[in-house]
Amino acid sequence: MNASKTESRTQQIKQFALDAGADVVGIADPRAWDEHVPLGHRPYDILPGAQSVVVVGSRGPTAGAWRSPNHRVMEVNGYDFRNDAAIHRVADMIEKDFDHQAIQAPGLPTGGHLPPMSMMLSAVLAGLGTRSLAANIILNPKYGLLYYSACITTFEFEYDGMLEQDVCPHPMCVDSYRRFGKTPCMAACPSDEGGCLDGSIDDDGRIDYSYYDRERCVSRAMNFGINSFQKALAQIVAEQDTERQSTMIYSDFFSRSCSAITHYKESVAQCFECMRVCPIGRAERKLR
Amino acid sequence: MTAQNKADFESAKSELAAIAGKSGALVSGVAAADAFDDAPEGYRPVDILPHAKSVFVIGGAQPRAGDWQSPNYQHMEVTSTSDRMQTLALKIARSIEDRFSYYAVCVPPGVDRGQQPFMSISMAADLAGCGSKSLAGPVLHPEYGFMYYAAIITTMPLPADSPLETPACPAPECVQMYAAEGTTPCLSICPIKAGGCLGGRIEDGRFTDRQYDSTRCATRVQNYWVPAFQKVLRATLQEPDADKQKMMLFSSMFSRTLWSMTYSNVSQGQCAECMRVCPVGLEHRTKK
Repeated sequence: MNASKTESRTQQIKQFALDAGADVVGIADPRAWDEHVPLGHRPYDILPGAQSVVVVGSRGPTAGAWRSPNHRVMEVNGYDFRNDAAIHRVADMIEKDFDHQAIQAPGLPTGGHLPPMSMMLSAVLAGLGTRSLAANIILNPKYGLLYYSACITTFEFEYDGMLEQDVCPHPMCVDSYRRFGKTPCMAACPSDEGGCLDGSIDDDGRIDYSYYDRERCVSRAMNFGINSFQKALAQIVAEQDTERQSTMIYSDFFSRSCSAITHYKESVAQCFECMRVCPIGRAERKLR
Repeated sequence: MTAQNKADFESAKSELAAIAGKSGALVSGVAAADAFDDAPEGYRPVDILPHAKSVFVIGGAQPRAGDWQSPNYQHMEVTSTSDRMQTLALKIARSIEDRFSYYAVCVPPGVDRGQQPFMSISMAADLAGCGSKSLAGPVLHPEYGFMYYAAIITTMPLPADSPLETPACPAPECVQMYAAEGTTPCLSICPIKAGGCLGGRIEDGRFTDRQYDSTRCATRVQNYWVPAFQKVLRATLQEPDADKQKMMLFSSMFSRTLWSMTYSNVSQGQCAECMRVCPVGLEHRTKK
């Protein structure tokens, strides 16, 4: 295929992704995974002959949801799977209009807690964001926190490069670190005071070291959902007193845990505090 | 508010209504955020979004005429949900923020702590003139009858609609039936004095003294999903016979309950009989 046609198709698929609900879209070379992941986790391990990975990112909570004093509102409204819906439409279009194979990249854990393919790495390699001090969340320079999905395809599009400049730390955070020894996210959840985050910034204003206590974060960010269901169920099964056991089964906590895993309410995470204080993307969350 | 501002907000309201209509909503309307005086503190629009001015309500996605006709009652259990309206609500919230730069947040569906909703979407629909409360319970639209509603709270001061001057319930046919027989279709299909869930009277063409046994209704409407899971879990855990316990775990009842919880089989409500006999919206449930 000639270069101009490749360029045209690249623009076409990108515009289609944006129209399908994505806020950002980028394309990565499948070979870029080679130096970052073990065998079995590269795009062409999942789709033989893969030539491109189209990555989309979508905002989660609305700016209004960030402002709600009822934290549960954000838990339930934090994620709407728009990125997944958009990437399915992208894959459909590639197969239908470009006559090449296309699949949604599997981004959820299938063994242990590891996904077959990392959406975080996909976003970085497609030039949509960089890792942050806040729990390694990939931050987009315009929107900050985004949710990502990817499509692996045998169609060869034009590739985007990785971002030349780190999104995190923001200049304001560098100043904060110089003056107080902490960035806003580290101050919101300091690992040395029972929180999850720590790190340092070097003389060039780049991340020098970062620490993220995943287990501790999970115990706070996932108070409802599969984790709380398992925790409550273990206690229920171990309870010898049948009256007490019944009370535990019908408790508000267990009911909400069951409800959270039913997909009825998308309560997949309950702590956004490191992102709430992050200056990146704040302009997008500042409305009337 | 200047005349120009007023016209702008009228125009914005029309634009949002057009988006709603084009995307599948049958009705839309606006309730003033300060009109929720009957809601307890903590459950009003401003408790979810500070400085909220309006609540934009959409309704639709009711079961189709064909759904009501299916002799397999389980068909409707697995095909009727509010999801389409909730997805659309998020799209409208995004439009309010992206297009008009005002904060917007969707009222989460379902219930929260203590099995209470975050905010009464029924009350919002009633105040926005999208329908009115009924003897049977659901808010009914005068033309379409039963439908699913979703609500978006926003800081945008949209012009508010008024509650319906003439409530959808009781329908004239029901007033006549009550005068002749002392009951209505919904009251006769599920009479509270004969083991059912509904009671009430009609005076001067309006219903009064409504009775609704929500606990009894829940045991009939939610035979699968979370309530059933809790019930069957309790029974299974407290079964002393290991073989019988194993049979209970692999039973059809337990399997279907788990399917409905995973949402692969959306069986959240299993009784719609009070709505099946309701004359409001009957013409939309009647096809060739």
